Amino acid sequence: MSIGQFLSIFISAVFVYNVILSRFLGLCSFVAISKETKPALAMSLAVMFVTTMSSIITWFIYRFLLIPFNITYLRTIAFILVIASFVQLVEMIIKKISPPLYRFFGIYLPLITVNCAVLGVAVLNIDMFFVNGKAIEGSFYYSVFQGICVGLGYTIAMLLMSGIRERLDFCSVPKCVKEFPLAFIIASIMSMSFMGFNGFKF
Amino acid sequence: MKNIEISKNKEDKILSDGVNKLTVSYSPHLHTNQSAAKIMWSVFLSLIPAGIAGIFIFGSKALWIISLGIISAIATEGLLQYLNKKKITLNDGSAALTGLLLSYNLPANSPWWLVIIGSFVAVAIGKQIFGGLGQNIFNPALVGRVFLMTCWPKYMTSFMKPLNAGFNVFGSVNYDAITAATPLMIVKEGEALSGLSYWDLFLGRHAGCVGEVCILALLIGALFLLLKKYISWHIPIIYIATVGVFSWIFGQKGLFSGNFLFSILSGGLILGAFFMATDYVTSPLTRKGQVIFAAGCGVLTSVIRLWGGYPEGVSYAILMMNAATPIIDRYTKNRIFGK
Amino acid sequence: MKLERKEFIKGIIKENPTFVLALGLCPTLAVSTAMSNGLGMGIAATFVLLGSNIFISLIKNIVPDRIRIPCYIVVIATFVTITELFMKAYSPALNRALGIYVPLIVVNCMVLGRAEAYASKSSVKNSIMDALGMGLGFTLALLLISGIREILGLGTFFGYKIIKSYEPMFIFALPSGALLVIGLLMSLFGLLKNKKT
Repeated sequence: MSIGQFLSIFISAVFVYNVILSRFLGLCSFVAISKETKPALAMSLAVMFVTTMSSIITWFIYRFLLIPFNITYLRTIAFILVIASFVQLVEMIIKKISPPLYRFFGIYLPLITVNCAVLGVAVLNIDMFFVNGKAIEGSFYYSVFQGICVGLGYTIAMLLMSGIRERLDFCSVPKCVKEFPLAFIIASIMSMSFMGFNGFKF
Repeated sequence: MKNIEISKNKEDKILSDGVNKLTVSYSPHLHTNQSAAKIMWSVFLSLIPAGIAGIFIFGSKALWIISLGIISAIATEGLLQYLNKKKITLNDGSAALTGLLLSYNLPANSPWWLVIIGSFVAVAIGKQIFGGLGQNIFNPALVGRVFLMTCWPKYMTSFMKPLNAGFNVFGSVNYDAITAATPLMIVKEGEALSGLSYWDLFLGRHAGCVGEVCILALLIGALFLLLKKYISWHIPIIYIATVGVFSWIFGQKGLFSGNFLFSILSGGLILGAFFMATDYVTSPLTRKGQVIFAAGCGVLTSVIRLWGGYPEGVSYAILMMNAATPIIDRYTKNRIFGK
Repeated sequence: MKLERKEFIKGIIKENPTFVLALGLCPTLAVSTAMSNGLGMGIAATFVLLGSNIFISLIKNIVPDRIRIPCYIVVIATFVTITELFMKAYSPALNRALGIYVPLIVVNCMVLGRAEAYASKSSVKNSIMDALGMGLGFTLALLLISGIREILGLGTFFGYKIIKSYEPMFIFALPSGALLVIGLLMSLFGLLKNKKT
């Protein structure tokens, strides 16, 4: 466990293997919600929260439930159930405690259940920080940190994209590329520029 | 920026709102074609010294690359405008400028098809797909360059040796076959720069892209633009200063001992800072936004140079900050007008 | 028989899950670096779609309306796990190439979308046809995208070199190339649609 490790996780999760622009997780929500900045920000914050929390929860489930009972092949089912019920729980709690916050990202929370980014980061953590069914040193901290960074990468891509698309409203874009196609092409250029961090070594 | 000062005064808020609605718009604000064309051709003119220096350093091959870049960019623009049934606006000089800037960012020994594909991508995907002049989000020439860099890193990183180089190790044989590493590549490999003075860096007597090597020629052009007030000093100076400070702090093993003069004089920093980061359309409108933009470019460039896989990060950094420009504009503007 | 044929055909062009409905784009872009991967992913997703469509249209009357989504997800996750284990056992190379995108079929909007929009309201026979048609449409789209990417990015077709002197455009083997291809293909679809009307 070292600072260099964490920095590598940061750069790789935020830029080089950006969850949207490189791993394509959460692409549907990215294209659908990035038309305006406000909802985009709300969605990103919600995703960031859920990826972080689900990294914590799924790590414990995998380490203390699936491995001891030797049922790691059930991880997909277990994770999706846990994530879905966790999101449901959060939604209920927020509704009870803070109605303004609920209004702020209420409708985006249920969407997150089927957001590939959340399940993706859980599976990724298991693939990266467990070797031969054993947690590597610092595995838990790496997992949580990766959860945060993936959420951060999602937020950055979402914010940049929503800013660009708001500006595009003022442009006379050719009819055939309007909306989705252009969003993908912009994402492609962004992905290209994020490749500049390729081979990052601290 | 008059309206900003006005808006600071709360009593004039209503007035400023009116002014705001009238004047502040997103960057496609170059409505009169004539002035846009005048600026484009002035920038084109200011880049000519660097081109002449490039031809002087790398020989006729550089001339060939530059003309090919300009011609293919113009051809692409004309073709796409014709197919889209738009008005053909080749004389506004923006296509020619894109082609010129792209060719300045290529090695002198690039194959011909590399230049043509690069110009095509730059104009088609970098500009026309967004609706043409003044509407693009990213700097077209840099889109072309980064596209080529991702496609064929092999061709984009094998640089020709200067013709009359002072550090000619292999003797003067057939210069076509000899490639050399750029100063930044040498440093990246962890080797020492031998026989290369700051003077060599300043005059461009080293391997590199066609238009980026001769700092002196670039500065002459930049001075012209600054004096004519086509660009302001904020973005380039802050960009260069950030790179300098960053590499001074982190450039070496110990802190505060890096070689900042080297990092400023090498690579495409001067070309990028004065001629590409200052593009009106793809950089922020407000001063505050420009400062953030330039500092961001500087930090990203240095991070890629120091710890990234590529030796040079100017084009990536500017593209990334181009992507952030609308959001910077949005937030710097919001704070100023207190919306 | 005519109706069933219609259910089958619609998934291929008119309601193509990728280009028209824009469903399940994540795996489409991520695994389409080579045609063999695209084909493998297409078959895997079709299998999951078929299994979950059959099962869901069978249980559609038993499941209470309010908890139907969690139930569907469990059904889909089960079929995904079966696929994953199968793939690990019989084609480890493909499993490695597809990586985390196999478990992620669970959250593929295409599968859940068809379960919710179609299988939960239709007969078993029609659901089978719908699943096969959608699966085929998905596989064809994957083959188209991965074909373009493999030919341009690696210069090969199903792993065979086609033109000797071709310099591969490496970008198409990378994520940014995938986004570019899908963006350009979508605008092409848009162009064709505009021409028609």
